[in-house]
Amino acid sequence: MVFVLIFAMGLLVFLNRYAFLEPRLPLRLSSNARQFLGFAVPGMLTAICGPIVFLPEHQLDLSPANPYLLGSLLAVVLVLWTRNTLLSMLLSMGFFFVYRGWLNGLP
Amino acid sequence: MPASLARTAYIQGSIACIPLSLAVAPWGLLAGSMAIEANLTPLQGQGLSAIVFAGAAQLVAIGMLKGGANLFSILLTTLLLTSQHLLYGLSMRPVLSELPTRWRLTLGFLMTDEFFALVSQYDREQFNRWYAFGVGFTFYLAWNLFTLAGIVLGQNIPHLDKLGLDFSIAATFVALIAPTVRNLPTVVCVAVALFCSVLFSYWKWETALVAAGLLGMAAGFICQKCAGAR
Repeated sequence: MVFVLIFAMGLLVFLNRYAFLEPRLPLRLSSNARQFLGFAVPGMLTAICGPIVFLPEHQLDLSPANPYLLGSLLAVVLVLWTRNTLLSMLLSMGFFFVYRGWLNGLP
Repeated sequence: MPASLARTAYIQGSIACIPLSLAVAPWGLLAGSMAIEANLTPLQGQGLSAIVFAGAAQLVAIGMLKGGANLFSILLTTLLLTSQHLLYGLSMRPVLSELPTRWRLTLGFLMTDEFFALVSQYDREQFNRWYAFGVGFTFYLAWNLFTLAGIVLGQNIPHLDKLGLDFSIAATFVALIAPTVRNLPTVVCVAVALFCSVLFSYWKWETALVAAGLLGMAAGFICQKCAGAR
């Protein structure tokens, strides 16, 4: 029963992934469609980050005591300044854990 | 392509994917330990990661199984939770649909949020299938190894979801997005996607992320059209 579910889920997810890669699918992307899809990277990746950064513990947290928020801001500043994705990521993660530890250590 | 070039591209792809592969560690561990906790066998837990290979859908499906949900409702939820892949497929169609069948099937199976984040920036000329395979396969291996670790360690990992490891995903994506925000339409796109994703997630919509992403994309597109018309 569980394996039926696993294979069915696998099939569904694969169809989602593969559907538009099939060349026999009669679909030509217009110039407008391509322009729209050009926003897929900033649009989708931002949507994935939003809840992680602003809704820790499923509560809206806009205070500076939200390490996710400060850490992300630091990542933005670092990547715009250094143009180095990996470095910015590692430094902001380092900051995040130190800051979070410091916040949790407060009485 | 000569084998050495293919190998170099594959290794470059693998290296590019290392940060995101590590970032996904908490979710992979969680997917493994939750499966055991929900009374799935180790083989079933690993099977989910090996066959379904979609973090959010796996975690929710395990939760629903535990809660006694029926097959149909779990599958419907899976469909909704993974619908952003349709968008990724559409977006990468110009590049990927031209590949031979076995490459399309392989890269299609390996398509994830992370794969899209790293590979979609390349157009037809710059795209390298071995680089893409390096990214996708490394991520697949990492996801399955972390799941295995989660299965083995089981509930010995205390408060995994409270360690704040999910920040690594946000940090990586933020570092990937920020440099692409160079003009007003992209700013509008990011702002709308951000606002909607927070709002829809707060409302616990199953399609929160893809709906927010689509609205952000639409806002950016409209803004670009208006700017072009002037």
